[in-house]
Amino acid sequence: MRTNRRLIKQIPTVLITVAVFLACGALHAEGAIEGVVSATSTFTLTARTGYVSTPDGGSYLMWGYANGPGPMQYPGPTLIVNQGAVVTVNLNNELTVPVSIVFPGQKAVRSTGGIPGLMTNEAPAGGGTVSYTFTASQPGTYTYYSGTNPDLQIEMGLVGALIVRPATNPGTQAYNHADSQFDHEYLFLLSEMDPRIHDLVATGNMAQVDNTTYFPVLWFINGRAAPDTMAEANSPLLPNQPYNCMPMMHPGEKILLRMIGAGRDFHPYHTHGNHHRVIARDGRLLSSGSGADLGEQAFTTTVIPGSTADAIFSWTGEKLGWDMYGHSNTVDPNRIGANCVADGVALEPGESLADHCKPFPVVLPSQQELTFGQFYSGSPFLGALGGLPPGEGGFNPNGGFFYMWHSHAEKELTNNDIFPGGMLTMMLIEAPGVPLMNP
Amino acid sequence: MRGKRRFCFWTLIFFLMSLSISSHAAVNVQCPGDNDGDARWNTAGEVQPPNTECLHLAAGDGFVTMADGHLQYTFGFKNVTGTLEDTVMETGMLAAEFPAPTLKFREGTHVYLTLTNVGMVMRPDLFDPHSVHWHGFPNAAPVFDGEPMSSLSINMGASLTYYYQVPDPGTYMFHCHVEATEHMQMGMLGNLYVTPLQDGTSVGGCGSQKYVYNDGDGSTCYDVDFPIQIHAFDSNFHDLHIAVQPLPFALMKDNYPMLNGRGYPDTVNPNPLPAPVENGSKDSQKVSAKVSAIAGQKVLLRISSLATVDFYTLQVLGIPMKVVGKDSRILRSSGGQNLSYLTNSVTLGGGESVDVILNTTGVAPGTYFLYTTDLNNLSNNAEDFGGMMTEIVIN
Repeated sequence: MRTNRRLIKQIPTVLITVAVFLACGALHAEGAIEGVVSATSTFTLTARTGYVSTPDGGSYLMWGYANGPGPMQYPGPTLIVNQGAVVTVNLNNELTVPVSIVFPGQKAVRSTGGIPGLMTNEAPAGGGTVSYTFTASQPGTYTYYSGTNPDLQIEMGLVGALIVRPATNPGTQAYNHADSQFDHEYLFLLSEMDPRIHDLVATGNMAQVDNTTYFPVLWFINGRAAPDTMAEANSPLLPNQPYNCMPMMHPGEKILLRMIGAGRDFHPYHTHGNHHRVIARDGRLLSSGSGADLGEQAFTTTVIPGSTADAIFSWTGEKLGWDMYGHSNTVDPNRIGANCVADGVALEPGESLADHCKPFPVVLPSQQELTFGQFYSGSPFLGALGGLPPGEGGFNPNGGFFYMWHSHAEKELTNNDIFPGGMLTMMLIEAPGVPLMNP
Repeated sequence: MRGKRRFCFWTLIFFLMSLSISSHAAVNVQCPGDNDGDARWNTAGEVQPPNTECLHLAAGDGFVTMADGHLQYTFGFKNVTGTLEDTVMETGMLAAEFPAPTLKFREGTHVYLTLTNVGMVMRPDLFDPHSVHWHGFPNAAPVFDGEPMSSLSINMGASLTYYYQVPDPGTYMFHCHVEATEHMQMGMLGNLYVTPLQDGTSVGGCGSQKYVYNDGDGSTCYDVDFPIQIHAFDSNFHDLHIAVQPLPFALMKDNYPMLNGRGYPDTVNPNPLPAPVENGSKDSQKVSAKVSAIAGQKVLLRISSLATVDFYTLQVLGIPMKVVGKDSRILRSSGGQNLSYLTNSVTLGGGESVDVILNTTGVAPGTYFLYTTDLNNLSNNAEDFGGMMTEIVIN
């Protein structure tokens, strides 16, 4: 099918978001996941309404947790605390229904105030408050969400991430063991949406919501559907969807994926480029007592509703069988590896010696025989740019390697009947020395 | 009958198109040592370089038949290795197979895989490129990854040669990644697996000298292996496709659950299914899902899923399933501890694989079943008995 025309409709959004992002990303490099940090580990969330945008032009009523007096956001603020902190979450409710928060994986959560609900105390509708306190005893990736009519309220957007940083090396490890060391970390909060439910709530027909006919047609990473996943964080174009997801690294570095199932469906999440190693689930290292020794190598990890998984991804480009930097030995093309170094062709940092100066194995077809992706640099080599036909490429100014990280339930790569979109983002490996715009 | 008339019409159109395409001879096989472009070393003067394999796949469209007789329009691959370049277009056109031809490589081999896009005969209004995505290839480079947003895909009437230095052993899969939701639902899916360097050596008393992984202890020894891929079609999507209608992405709901592109009882047919007239009577479903072994053998099931919508659970009744690998990695702790486990079911989403060994020692000869326990998927659309099930015959 010719989706190019449809894609062209999306291109203004893509161009703006990606271009703005690439241009401005370096200015607000936090070096960590976007979220809320509090010196006292006390957070104030407000449940209120707002609208999210989807790349197909949709706009949907949501209920979400706002950060204090801020706008409704989907997902709710990522709460970042330190291991051992006594965490207090004060919830104000501006919705017309009672609302609450449960914290799966946290022990002895005490709720004060509000009114008793089925799972926990709730903040009454129309200005009620409730407060939750617990000790974040174990590091890891967690989720929080509404414990009140969760079948409706999580769908409406009342869900978020909780990150507990370990006592040991909290800036570079996910857990108290070196097996969880990372250079860059990114959140992958996966969810889906059935817009009919949102329309019914928006039109005052909440009683007609029927969860037995649930049929999602929109899929999100951190509350955004592709290509918005790749726009800058806190984009003014997406005032209620502040979190992006565009992982970046250099060869040999490690990315920590903090994956959360924030809806009701399972999602098989696939990393192009390499395997990842799942090191923890639900905030516990996969361990028999020695680090993440029970960690599981996978090219696809099933992200389970209400559950979390942490994985480490790395990539070196080794064993390709050709020099990924396109080095060649001009003295003698047959002298590769260490011999090529000896002939004066230096290795890039971390480059595989075995493939050094090995020639590219095939001849690529002529331009008119190929279709080029927007994220292709025009060259097969890392850090290099090549010729592209007019209007092709353009999203890869530094000659990086891009990889799609996406749900392998391919249906979920759509935005309400329009391909491509949904639960996908592009991971970028930049050549050594090229600054990362979203570290 | 209207369909048949339309078929004849488009065939004529495409025949005329192919004349003009072949006159440009843009089909181009790159295979070291092969001089005549058939991706083989079978002519005087042609020398196969050591440790090298060449393959030529055509990507196009075709027809397959569901187990209840429903004809299904598909996209797919055909193996045209051995075909000379100037006849590849006519050999590959309307010859799509489902699943794609199974690809099997030995670890460390240099593979040159040429993909030729022969176009979609039945949809001449389309000019989609195609690609090969080796799903799970470790440390991949975008240029040979086949994911079109970050790399290249090949246009109609032309060829792109992928190079792979075959990586670690295990059960992978491959598919076209162009407009992935559509091309994968349409059937551009296939089994792909890699055998280990340890094969051919005797480790841990493994008589067959065949292993799933370089295990060092013979713990993944097996006697016979069967790739089993989970597939599912939404017939509405396919029917609207051949009718040149807008495609129902949002409404996609699979109603033909399959193993190796077949619903039961077609799964147990050891032969290619009868060729449809609509593709010119070419065999298009060659991969059986029947598992057969002699009692006492270790049977390796290389199970993968390329379903585009749902998760599926597969169960073996009567023979314990030993899971020794997942996603082309041996189940081992980083300390070397064997993490394989016994179960009677495995659950896979799209893009996941497991290696399951059935030890048939002491198993009484007879017929056993491999089937989905998502019981609604034991169906071929409205036909209540069939779907995702096959037989394991122990002799």
